[in-house]
Amino acid sequence: MRSLIFPGEEAQSARHAPCTYCENGRVFSSAVGMLDTERGGVVPLEGPWVPRIGEQVVGTVTDSKNHVYTVDLSYYCRALIIGSRYDRESMEIGDVIEATIKNIEDGGVIILSYPKMLLGGVLVNIKPAKVPRVIGKEDTMVRQIESLTRTRMVVGRNGTAWIKGKPQDTELAICAISLIERKAHQQGLTEAVKVMLENESRNKKGE
Amino acid sequence: MGSSLNKPELIKDGKRLDGRAFDELRPLKIEAGVLKNADGSAYLEWGNNKVLAAVYGPREAMPKHMTDPTKGIVKCRYSMAPFSGIDDHGRSGPNRRSTEISKVAKEAFENVILLNDYPSGMIEIFMEILQSDGGTRAAGITAASVALANAGIHMKDMMYAVSAGRIDEHIVLDVNMIEDNYSDADMPMVIAPRNNDVLLLQMDGGLDKGQFDQAVKMVLEAGKKIHEVQKRALEDYYNMREGK
Repeated sequence: MRSLIFPGEEAQSARHAPCTYCENGRVFSSAVGMLDTERGGVVPLEGPWVPRIGEQVVGTVTDSKNHVYTVDLSYYCRALIIGSRYDRESMEIGDVIEATIKNIEDGGVIILSYPKMLLGGVLVNIKPAKVPRVIGKEDTMVRQIESLTRTRMVVGRNGTAWIKGKPQDTELAICAISLIERKAHQQGLTEAVKVMLENESRNKKGE
Repeated sequence: MGSSLNKPELIKDGKRLDGRAFDELRPLKIEAGVLKNADGSAYLEWGNNKVLAAVYGPREAMPKHMTDPTKGIVKCRYSMAPFSGIDDHGRSGPNRRSTEISKVAKEAFENVILLNDYPSGMIEIFMEILQSDGGTRAAGITAASVALANAGIHMKDMMYAVSAGRIDEHIVLDVNMIEDNYSDADMPMVIAPRNNDVLLLQMDGGLDKGQFDQAVKMVLEAGKKIHEVQKRALEDYYNMREGK
């Protein structure tokens, strides 16, 4: 059973769980969220993205100089990809990429690695607090939306998603994302999204 | 400030001018998430006080030289609308009083926000007093605390503020404008309720030790109610949004 928890209230969870802090051996919540008693930890209802090493992100290249690329992740700190002149392909300003956070330096500068170009498609902003639900447990939600809408989707933890497909399919995928955003903290969301997408595609076929 | 020469009778038949008991709060109402463009916001009505608080951030720290690469910084602005007061607050914009309140509020917020989570960032807190009737700094900080929680900024605790005062030998809670002007002491406090940590304590006038203890006790007791109202405001907002 999940219940609402407020900053400063004791959270029965492991140390270093997201949205918690530890004091005198006790763990407290640091945000308004749902206390997840099954898995332990606080699932925030709102809040900015706090980058962590290893996370996948999606962004746009905004500057390139001597094989160092600046990437806009809709975040207040700079994100860089440090390439080398031996790289087979170089990126250009305006390119959309997905990458993994390799390191977070002093001052919050994010160093990205393994950039992959995302060609075509559209970018959609998602509230960072809702991203885990859009991705789902072991990517189940993303895979479901992809298969039901026949699109390709990459969801970055920074709250930017890239969707590629036919315009009407992309629109459907965006509808699914906004449904998840609205009902992120309700149970049985995967089923609700499935029903919505199936109904919509049936309606489209009927037309 | 009022003069002691024309001091009105603030206590009549064991009750205060507005009919409250000594340890009674004015009616308090908070609504969270009222501004669409802000990351977090709250509207508060506390007696005749009306306050709008908004939080933005974390965003890039400005001016640049203020940037701290190890942690975020807090910017705080308390301001009274030109139409807010009975007395002349005729000019908007910063003045001596609002600069002081902005500073002390900022220092109180710095103690609860987990600034290490936002290196090189800046969190901006705005408290706009739309209508004032004494105790506006307490009202502003209480509202801003809800706005911070609404913005999802990581913080150790959701603090509240309330003032206590002394009228003759009586200790009273939550002084209003007229009591503030003519009272013998006025003491706003900001408390982090988890450990009852005192984050701000200012005093205008004088209290002896016994009176001070009584005032603190009154503040802590009333704080439980204020904290409940803060939590309910957030609860209502999220329940409504999630469509429950």
